[in-house]
Amino acid sequence: MHQKKSRFRIGNSQLIAPYIFVAPFILSFIIFFSYPLFQAILMSFQSVLPDQVTFIGLDNFKKLNNPSFYKALYNNFRYTIYTVIVLIPIPLILAVFLNSKMMRLKNMFRSALFLPALTSVAVAGIIFKLVFSELDGALMNTFIQWLGFDSQKWLYYPGLSMFALVVIATWRWIGINILYFLSALQNIPKELYEAADIDGAGLFSKFYKITVPLLKPITIYVLTITIYGGFAMFTESYMLWGSRGSPQDIGLTMVGYIYQQGFQYFDLGFGSAIGLVLLVITLGVSMIQLKFMGLFGKED
Amino acid sequence: MSKKGNLLLSLILAVSMILTACGSNNGGGNTPSTPTETSNSNTEGEGKTEAEQTNLTLWTFVQQHADFYLYMADEWNQANPDKPIKLVTENIPYDEMHTRLLIALQTKEGAPDLVDIEQSKFPNFMKGEVQLVELNDVVEPELSNIVKSRVDIYSQDGKYYGVDLHVGATVMFYNKEIMDQAGVNPDDIKLWSDVEKYGKIVVEKTGKPFITFEGAGNWSWWPAINQLESDQVSVDGKVMLDDERNIRAMTFFKKLVDEGIAAIAPGAGHDTPEYKAYMNAEGAASVFMPFWFMNRFTDEMPDLKGKIIIKPMPAWDEGGNRSAGMGGTGLSITNQTKHLELAKEFLAYSKLSKEGNIQVWKQLGMDPIRTEVWTDPAMSEPNKFTEYFGNDIFDTLLEVKDEIYPVNIREISPQVFDSVRNEIIPRIFQFGEDPETVIKEEADKLRKSLP
Amino acid sequence: MAEKQRWNFSAVFLLLFFIILAVMALFPLYALFLASIKPSSELFRYGLNVRLDFDVMTLANYKAIFAGKGGSAHYFSWYKNSIFITSLFTVLCLFLSSMVGYGLAMYNFKGRNLIFTLVLAVMMIPVEIILLPLYRLSIDLSIINSIWGVILPFVVAPLPIFFFRQFASGIPKDFMDAGRIDGCSEMGIFFRIMIPMLVPAFGAMTILQAMFSWNNFLWPVIVLRSTENFTLPIGLASLLSPVGNNYEVLLSGAVLSILPILVLFLMFQRFFIEGLTVGGVKG
Repeated sequence: MHQKKSRFRIGNSQLIAPYIFVAPFILSFIIFFSYPLFQAILMSFQSVLPDQVTFIGLDNFKKLNNPSFYKALYNNFRYTIYTVIVLIPIPLILAVFLNSKMMRLKNMFRSALFLPALTSVAVAGIIFKLVFSELDGALMNTFIQWLGFDSQKWLYYPGLSMFALVVIATWRWIGINILYFLSALQNIPKELYEAADIDGAGLFSKFYKITVPLLKPITIYVLTITIYGGFAMFTESYMLWGSRGSPQDIGLTMVGYIYQQGFQYFDLGFGSAIGLVLLVITLGVSMIQLKFMGLFGKED
Repeated sequence: MSKKGNLLLSLILAVSMILTACGSNNGGGNTPSTPTETSNSNTEGEGKTEAEQTNLTLWTFVQQHADFYLYMADEWNQANPDKPIKLVTENIPYDEMHTRLLIALQTKEGAPDLVDIEQSKFPNFMKGEVQLVELNDVVEPELSNIVKSRVDIYSQDGKYYGVDLHVGATVMFYNKEIMDQAGVNPDDIKLWSDVEKYGKIVVEKTGKPFITFEGAGNWSWWPAINQLESDQVSVDGKVMLDDERNIRAMTFFKKLVDEGIAAIAPGAGHDTPEYKAYMNAEGAASVFMPFWFMNRFTDEMPDLKGKIIIKPMPAWDEGGNRSAGMGGTGLSITNQTKHLELAKEFLAYSKLSKEGNIQVWKQLGMDPIRTEVWTDPAMSEPNKFTEYFGNDIFDTLLEVKDEIYPVNIREISPQVFDSVRNEIIPRIFQFGEDPETVIKEEADKLRKSLP
Repeated sequence: MAEKQRWNFSAVFLLLFFIILAVMALFPLYALFLASIKPSSELFRYGLNVRLDFDVMTLANYKAIFAGKGGSAHYFSWYKNSIFITSLFTVLCLFLSSMVGYGLAMYNFKGRNLIFTLVLAVMMIPVEIILLPLYRLSIDLSIINSIWGVILPFVVAPLPIFFFRQFASGIPKDFMDAGRIDGCSEMGIFFRIMIPMLVPAFGAMTILQAMFSWNNFLWPVIVLRSTENFTLPIGLASLLSPVGNNYEVLLSGAVLSILPILVLFLMFQRFFIEGLTVGGVKG
């Protein structure tokens, strides 16, 4: 493994080297994803039952035209927008603070903000159900009473429950996003800031002129996975309502819908159809966003 | 600095090598159990068994059930030394266990011999070619001894595929202290109309609601309409949510809520921590829930010990049914078993025999499906339930024994139950909409969307 | 880091601000911890509360889990499995994914954008729709009910590939050319020049991939058949059921399950703080 001076000829060629580097992914894709994905596409044109697999053409896709599907899509869309608004700028700014010279107890705060992500879903579900319960004594209601509002039934109204979902998402993911930004901040050479100091640049202009541009690649990454995470959200909803669905589908998401149709109602073909549509939507949105940010351009 | 990087890298590589090395030796865990091999060679001289032990695997989603089956397997081995069983139970999270079973049956690989299937999930396993084994030869001889509806649920076209663990008879749990405070005798509440009459007095005297209903669940409306011998899904598997008896029951419940006699359970259901905290603090005077709810009282509402009494439900009309069988889990055998006869014998022994049914009460605190054991002396032996509720638990059960009407669970049930839990009940109880309108709307919606 | 910290208004303000944030983040965990050192009936008596009631505090829940009560008999094998799977997965995943990410970032080659698109596509496939075919595949490959079944399908993980690609794209290509002039092979450049620069990325990804593996749920529950092979999240979830719960072991089990990743996190923090900047590497 240690190459001092003895090295492969092949590893020297700039034409072949990149293919060696990406080989693990290609292999993994061929072995583990090409077949299941092909099967999933096949199933989306079938009715899949034990010993009764029948081809039904586009029926599964026609079934998508129903209120639940639109509701799920709408929920995911709103959730994605909110999480993008909350979970990108805030962690970015917090990471800058945590990276600044003025900050004390950095390690402690980093750990504190990161810890929520470690809590098992089953348990976090119990906790948040109680936090957002409609009782006067529940944590969230205590808090808003303190602000002068009445107690709310958080898990019954669309607006309130969306708020609850975004709160849980923020709680779970903020520390992780801070981590992404921090790792990138570490790589910004200090000399750049020192040079700016000599030029007499203020805090804000340093942030805009140095930090933000240099964080661009990581910001693109965080934005992409936040969008993807928003469309693929199921866990947060599962924490609040479990697997039996939510009142009037206020917590229904696309992945929840796949799960409900595929495994609760045992309609695997329809589940696959929903999943493929979700895949196309997420990939489409991400592609547009990446193209827009010039990610596929030749970088030289 | 680059030294450091190199150090880290070599560390990672070294660790990965060590890990992969030990991974290949013992990381594999158990060998995959391909259908061609049944390993029953690992009986490692645990007392010389005369006969070869047969391995049976059983999946469940409740640890207490697993413990019960293991106990019964030990009993079986003592009673049948000629055909001993080595029962391996797997306790798997609820949703995932059913998902995994669907996948295993669909792919025809990896299903267990025996499996606990929860009632509301059962219809999924009746779709396509049924992959469960027909149990008529062990169930039919016992039909006269058991509450028949508890095997009818798990049947299709006259074939039995599962046997329930318990009856799930719905009963009233009264808080004796609150009732005494209001000067109301629970025995006077014979009809639902009495609930309105005496419930008013309880509310006036104590300021507490007389009863609670689930605000996003099915444990209030469903037993109530079952008393009227109606259902949400008809015998032939059609939507019958908007049957007039159902509307009658819901309209009356809504009236009780509007009059403040009934409250919506905190947490929107009776099996939530919020409700238990509320009830534990003497929140309401009564609740009706199936028999299995007793262990929620003993384990999760300890402060009510000695205050709760069990009585039959009020009937809708003179001579009407005063109970309903709710909830349940059927034990089934999959067609991938290699030991069909033995699995069947063990299923019959643990679920249909007298010994098994006595243990259902002793170990799980549930009402066994074999009715003769209800009068067995074993039932009145002191345990945590008799300490909590008193000694007359089974007297109530015997009183309503013949008033338990079967429920229909069919292919469309999962969708119908979801509609009840997430649409009908919240719209009426949380948003105060008119019962009749909501029920008719949702029933029509379901009829349109279901094949 | 060695600079002297000055106290001034903004430093105090920042500190207070972060204290409030940390309290908010940790509150649910604090509540969980408190619930775990009280009898589980307290949770039902008063709901989730943070009353410090020393009379009822007890280690009974922890004793119960060490004694394997209430379905937790396998708790420590779940724990062991989780640690083992997580370590193996994380190491393999980082090694393979960093290679792919680096290759995508640093070379212009035919099919690069296609492969990158495929990486994103794999990331966005909902696991639910490939559950059944993947199960079938695992049986055919004989990796069912083994840790390889949990690890292999997802070990070349798209998320870290994407992250390493983004991270590496911020590194000037001059370093590669300098390496070539020094006579390094392409592999040598990656191992000897790039990896040191990617250290912060490795630090972040170690923690993240370990966390994902630690919390991974749906696929492991399908591929692992026997209870003793389960991982912690599956085991913990099996303590909850519609027919009765084992809160006492669930609460203590949940608290204990946070520890390993926390320890890992504290260990790997150093990699961020060291701040191995580009300037520190010999060109």
